[in-house]
Amino acid sequence: MFSKNRREGIGEIWNWQITATCALILFIVGALAISFGPIHLGIADIAKTLIGMDGLHGQERTVLLDLRLPRMILAALVGAALATSGAVYQTVFRNPLADPYLLGAAGGAGLGATIAITNSGGNIYGWLPIFSFLGATLAVATSFFISGRFFAEPNTLLLSGIAVGSFATAIQTYLQQRHSNALRPVYNWILGELTVANWSIVSWSSVYILSSIAVLISISKKLDGLLLSDEESFSLGIDPNRLRMIAVAAATLATATAVSASGLIGFVGIVVPHLVRGITHRVTNRSLLTISLVGAAFLVVADLGARSLLSPAELPIGVITAFVGAPFFLFVLRTRRITHS
Amino acid sequence: MIKIDDLTVKIGNRAILNDITLDIPHGHWTCLVGPNGAGKTTLLKVLLGVREYSGSLQDNGVEVYRNHKRNVAFVPQHPEIPTGMTVAEYVALGRSKIEGWGNESPESRAFIEEVLIQTQLYGMHQRHVAQLSGGEMQRALIARALAQEPELILLDEPTSALDLHHQISVLNNIEILKTRGVTVISTMHDITLAAMYAERIVVMHDGKVLLNGAASDVIHSSELRSAFDNRINVYTLDSGRPVIVASKDDQEN
Repeated sequence: MFSKNRREGIGEIWNWQITATCALILFIVGALAISFGPIHLGIADIAKTLIGMDGLHGQERTVLLDLRLPRMILAALVGAALATSGAVYQTVFRNPLADPYLLGAAGGAGLGATIAITNSGGNIYGWLPIFSFLGATLAVATSFFISGRFFAEPNTLLLSGIAVGSFATAIQTYLQQRHSNALRPVYNWILGELTVANWSIVSWSSVYILSSIAVLISISKKLDGLLLSDEESFSLGIDPNRLRMIAVAAATLATATAVSASGLIGFVGIVVPHLVRGITHRVTNRSLLTISLVGAAFLVVADLGARSLLSPAELPIGVITAFVGAPFFLFVLRTRRITHS
Repeated sequence: MIKIDDLTVKIGNRAILNDITLDIPHGHWTCLVGPNGAGKTTLLKVLLGVREYSGSLQDNGVEVYRNHKRNVAFVPQHPEIPTGMTVAEYVALGRSKIEGWGNESPESRAFIEEVLIQTQLYGMHQRHVAQLSGGEMQRALIARALAQEPELILLDEPTSALDLHHQISVLNNIEILKTRGVTVISTMHDITLAAMYAERIVVMHDGKVLLNGAASDVIHSSELRSAFDNRINVYTLDSGRPVIVASKDDQEN
């Protein structure tokens, strides 16, 4: 008797056309980002240069290959890392407000960066990424260690992350006050910047970020099981503790790498996942690849704004992500029913 | 056969399940009854394989703890409700065990559709699970279990918080599973319903099994009455069907 209704079927759980569209958007904003700037580069010339044909020469070629291209790629990597880790943390902790810096990564990275800046004399950039990476991973590891059996109670890990983060921030503030000459570089770093982008940073951060994202996307369908109780997810064939461990480790690696490459860029990890979920009305983690692509595109655009709005001066990118992201997010919040994990 | 030998589960020093020895045959509906705190839910979780225990609990000769090879569906009393997930997605999760996560084949999708129709959820399958009423949510849980095609289904109070009409519809859906050869183990507060649907009843009290046997025998036993401190009365309707009701203190003896 239901035969009339049955033809519609149950519908697709994730529409991959959305993902393809987002990939296209990323490609377009990426092209625009390397084209715009104090020196305008034609898209056709850029394309020719990149595929090895006779395109740009001299200064223009240097601007493209040594400045804009690595910077655009780094922005995309960092955006993808933060958005993906944010989405994963939100699922793992079943908390829509979870963000990638939650487990002490921000405080730890900030402390590491400040130590590097205050002790490095002039050459701050050599050690800064290494120290902030170590700081972030150490802080998260400490949170894990303190919370002990966190898997029985994920909120314990959240709380210990907050405590470790605050502790690291306290030491960082102390160091910063002791070395007043370091105030400005530390402050700049905390607000996030991509001015340091070069091929060396791009190459090592891409290894960590892309492999972390690959791991997260490979487990993305299973991550939906963490939205259920542990007993239910066990009965559906996953080991919830093991899955959480893999997810948190990969998301932390991506976050620590992003932080060490570009400083603390806020808002991306919360806004982008919720935007994608809000617009698609889907909470499934099958959206993870799409969230990565949108995060990448979001940060590429934000960085374009950061370096063009007050050109030739630069705004910290964190200012842009919040300035543009917050109202847009509120708009989506008002007009769509935001769904979350 | 599920064989439980000297099974003890402790939280700290307190034994939630205390030295239980029990056989549960496959292919039947076994109902765990007993007052609150008797250990029924804990026993279900042990049967699922998520709770550590001392002693032995073997399902077809294999220890169950952390055993992912069995296909056991679990219907909790208080499920975690994933905000934003649609009913169709929720039920589709049931296929994960058989097909791997997120790999719904066309056959699977047709099967999910079938299950949605069977549980009267078709038509509301694009609604969010968070928007379902208590009865609909319970049906969604049963639908997910049906989609899982399990060999064993464990249900914790599947009819609590449901009106009579929905109780019967949920229980009938569980019975469909049983006719497909699925072993059913449930806890149930309503002993009358337990006697009506289950073939076997296990009476639990204070972490121990007081009695285990055919439903009709257990219902009229003194152990059942003593598990509830003699505060229940068993009547038999003209049809021969037993009805169990709580007795007021002044009606005792």
